[in-house]
Amino acid sequence: MSKEVLSIDHMARVEGHGQVKVSIKEGVVESVQMQIDEPARFFESMVRGRRFDEIPYIASRICGICSASHVITSLQAIEQAFGITVSERTRMLRELLVYGSYLQNHATHLYVLAAPDYLKQQSVLPLANMDKGLFDKALALKSLGNELCNMVGGRSIHPITAVVGGFTSEPTAQQYLQMADQLDAALEFAKETVDVFNGFPTPMLETDGDMMAMVEQGAYPISLSSRFVLVDSGKEYDCSELHDAIEEYAVAHSGALFARVKESKKPYMVGALARINASWNNITSEAKFAAAKAGIRPPERNPFNNNVAQAIELVDAVQRCAQLCRDLAGDKFEGTTKPVEFQVKAGHGIGFNEAPRGTVFHDLEFDEEGRVIHAAIVTPTAQNVANMEADMMKLACDLAAQNVSEDELKKQVEMLVRAYDPCFSCSVH
Amino acid sequence: MANYSLSLRGKQNPRVVFFAFASCFGCQLQITNKEKYLLDVLGQVDLGYWQLISGQPLPQEFDVAVIEGAVTTEEAAALVQEIRQRAQCVIGIGACALTGGIPGIASDAVDQHAQMVYGEALPAACGDIFAPTPIKKYIDVDFEVPCCPVDFYGFVDVLQRALYGSNKAIQTTSMCGSCKINGTQCLYEQGQICMGMVTRAGCGARCPKLGRPCNGCAGITPDANLESAYKVVASYGQDVEMFKQRLVLFNAQALSSAEEQ
Repeated sequence: MSKEVLSIDHMARVEGHGQVKVSIKEGVVESVQMQIDEPARFFESMVRGRRFDEIPYIASRICGICSASHVITSLQAIEQAFGITVSERTRMLRELLVYGSYLQNHATHLYVLAAPDYLKQQSVLPLANMDKGLFDKALALKSLGNELCNMVGGRSIHPITAVVGGFTSEPTAQQYLQMADQLDAALEFAKETVDVFNGFPTPMLETDGDMMAMVEQGAYPISLSSRFVLVDSGKEYDCSELHDAIEEYAVAHSGALFARVKESKKPYMVGALARINASWNNITSEAKFAAAKAGIRPPERNPFNNNVAQAIELVDAVQRCAQLCRDLAGDKFEGTTKPVEFQVKAGHGIGFNEAPRGTVFHDLEFDEEGRVIHAAIVTPTAQNVANMEADMMKLACDLAAQNVSEDELKKQVEMLVRAYDPCFSCSVH
Repeated sequence: MANYSLSLRGKQNPRVVFFAFASCFGCQLQITNKEKYLLDVLGQVDLGYWQLISGQPLPQEFDVAVIEGAVTTEEAAALVQEIRQRAQCVIGIGACALTGGIPGIASDAVDQHAQMVYGEALPAACGDIFAPTPIKKYIDVDFEVPCCPVDFYGFVDVLQRALYGSNKAIQTTSMCGSCKINGTQCLYEQGQICMGMVTRAGCGARCPKLGRPCNGCAGITPDANLESAYKVVASYGQDVEMFKQRLVLFNAQALSSAEEQ
């Protein structure tokens, strides 16, 4: 048998542009490439010379669905550079905004992007005829995430209200309480989502890569910690030590830089599965119960189970958001969200968050007028893609050894890519 | 006009396809973000190709092409022209497609930007790059849905017009009037620089209503009087240069073409 290249051109149901090439020679997989031909927009370079207060607004446009995370990450970097301390209330409202994007992202990814594979459909739309109840509930959960982002940020994509030092506008106590009730009502379906995704058959696969996630003692942190762990190596770092922990490198077939652990040279995974592995003990009790029922607990190394991990996080996020809304409706958190006064000055800061799809870092340096002189942005998918490729290779080898059909091999590789919830727009930026 | 409203393919619903060039995909996501009405909207059309939500391959024939994103490579320029040839009607959605948007900021020196990010060797996957350009520079665009991101209802309104053959006129008044209607205190009176005076209306002045100055994402309106705007900015004691720099955010391409003329 001669050499063949299996191609998945212009992969559907992912954000951005990517193609997969699997080279097979005489039944043996020679190489697998995740080709990312997403147009480069050069964010790190284009922000040079622009004033600090435009940066979160610009950075938001790296990615539609991760926009809240990019805004908050930029704000953290700017505030660190200028030595600004924001109120506890501002920090918690930001956390609520990021959590809103979790609901938005995970519900969209699970039901609109990933589920059609398992339902053997091209899109989620036929589900309206197959199971109207599930379809309506799935879209209602996605809608709730959008409403939450809209309530806090003023818009479901590219938030308006989050600015340096605080927020330009805040929901009323009544809005918070109504949202809390809606979130309570969504809990049952979030739990059902864990069962739905756990019920889908997935290939056995163990990633050989490491995993990275934000950590904090006794918490399941998404925006309030500056520390991350490499799960396998067991080492913890401050976000300022990012480049001691990992290194980025360019490959010809991708507009996104790839990343690996500096010491072990292993690729690594970020996102829901990495977070569950790193902070399993601190998910909410309902989330833990749903996870236990699904048989997910650390060490969980099957990348396909990133889907189930996202579903578990939906349960976790629904509960946390309801509590945050009630706390914000009351006076639990100190201070107001009115932007604090500050002085513009030369400085350097690093913002760090867990975006829905994984760890994101913005490293910004400003001159004395508050204009950017250097920017480095490390996005979740850029970190995931080397590990994704390694897992695709492993899966393709397994499937080739089982003599599965070409179509089946392509289909399963595609499902693996989707399980990572890649955002190619983010990855290249 | 708009004879495609009957559909190329007889009595079937008009076939609609979606494409994305350099963008954040946020406009397409916005369209999926009014879940309650999603099926009502999509029920009127034969959704021929939408890579973001469906694995169906691109059909040979289609009636309406919805395009997000700026053109940034030779490959994209060829594709957008091919889409125009095959579509009866083109709808451009969002700032990137219509003004070059945020990617347009890099249009001053795109090769230098590429070098700064990738060093000497630009990955082959990036293609043959050039300055981010609105799709309008390459093709005729029948309908426009402005803003970053587009508003769902704005999109539905334009889609209806495209499907049922209503007018193609765009909003030309400036956004300032919307703040007056909303009763929002002028942000200049609060010591802030706002782009509302020269920016196309239609968004309802959503940002100023929430205390945030307009960044001009709908693009400079054809009715804008820039010279007059500079005088107003100065009369509030604000820095005109700062105003000009801010206006570049979503209008880099329009401003540099104006300079060339």
